[in-house]
Amino acid sequence: MSTRVALKAKGGKSNRNKASAAAAGEEDGPSTVKIVKDWTNWGLHKAKVVAHYGFIPLIIVIGMNSEPKPSWAQLLTPV
Amino acid sequence: MATFVSPPASTTATQPTGLKPTVIEKEKVDYLNLPCPIPYEEIHREAFMSLKPELFEGLRFDFTKGLNPKFALSHSVLMGPTEIPSQSPETIKIPTAHYEFGANYLDPKLMLVGRIMTDGRLNARIKCDLSENLILKSSAQLTNEPHMSNVMASFDYKGKDYRSQFQLGSGALFGASYIQSVTPNVSLGGEVFWTGQHRKSGIGYGARYNNDKMVATGQVASTGMVLLSYVQKVSEKVSLASEFVYNHMSKDVTATFGYDYILRQCRLRGKIDSNGCVGALLEERLNLGLNFILSAEIDHRKKDYKFGFGMTVGE
Repeated sequence: MSTRVALKAKGGKSNRNKASAAAAGEEDGPSTVKIVKDWTNWGLHKAKVVAHYGFIPLIIVIGMNSEPKPSWAQLLTPV
Repeated sequence: MATFVSPPASTTATQPTGLKPTVIEKEKVDYLNLPCPIPYEEIHREAFMSLKPELFEGLRFDFTKGLNPKFALSHSVLMGPTEIPSQSPETIKIPTAHYEFGANYLDPKLMLVGRIMTDGRLNARIKCDLSENLILKSSAQLTNEPHMSNVMASFDYKGKDYRSQFQLGSGALFGASYIQSVTPNVSLGGEVFWTGQHRKSGIGYGARYNNDKMVATGQVASTGMVLLSYVQKVSEKVSLASEFVYNHMSKDVTATFGYDYILRQCRLRGKIDSNGCVGALLEERLNLGLNFILSAEIDHRKKDYKFGFGMTVGE
């Protein structure tokens, strides 16, 4: 997903930069497309880290709260 | 496929003896009440189950501990040489050993499966029934290395006699597929996909004919691939399968024949290939919940011999 956003935004950003350079400062420095692209990339990276560390604990929490409730000792011992 | 409707009872008395309705026993096909077909990606399911068993090399030990009818933890150890892709024709193998911890949660409406390895790779699968007919499935492989992770999500809609699916993937992958039951035994389907990363798109068609004794499927794709398979269920315990793959672009042809014996104490699957590859997988049930696995794959052309053994404890 980030690749697609990057491909589209790169075309938009370079056009905008050319246009803003030619038109001598029509809009402010960081364009909105660049900001959106940076925020989605930041969001996706954080979501990937959260999923990477949190998915297995999430399954364990959901499983330990399902009926019939297993005990914590059963989680750690092999048998 | 028009069915033969028997003549009305009043005329049977005057019917000449030479003329007999031949298919009077066949039931009339109700085209408005066809069964739901199997999903498009599982169209070759029977052939793949027989011809593509999970062959491995080295030692494998799986332990599954159920804490709940719905919740289970699994520990898995795999030690053995793994192949790394190489440009030269000889295969390069590196001995590796890893441990994998997994957790499964199975509900009628929600299924969560997660597996994490010692090198940090997470393999996650989610299947969620959003409504009676709409299913969300997602699978992800997350790694610590940048740009090596991928995620795939799909929305499946199950209609009365059709199924449709829409897929989204990382790397700007979009796909859609549709399969429809045309008669009680035949279903036809098609799929399209588009990748943004490699700027490729493709379209494919598939057909499946099945009855109680056999399954025949065919699939063509615009990537130049033609796949035909035929599975015959010879008896309750034995089924034979064959598959033919032809790739028009790379001019690769492979024919595979295989068998699948499901016996009381064991399951034996074997196959032989036109690439000179012979493989077999034996799963023997020693006791309740204790399975012994032997795997062998002999590639005569590449001179690559793989043998593996293992044990599976738990369901």
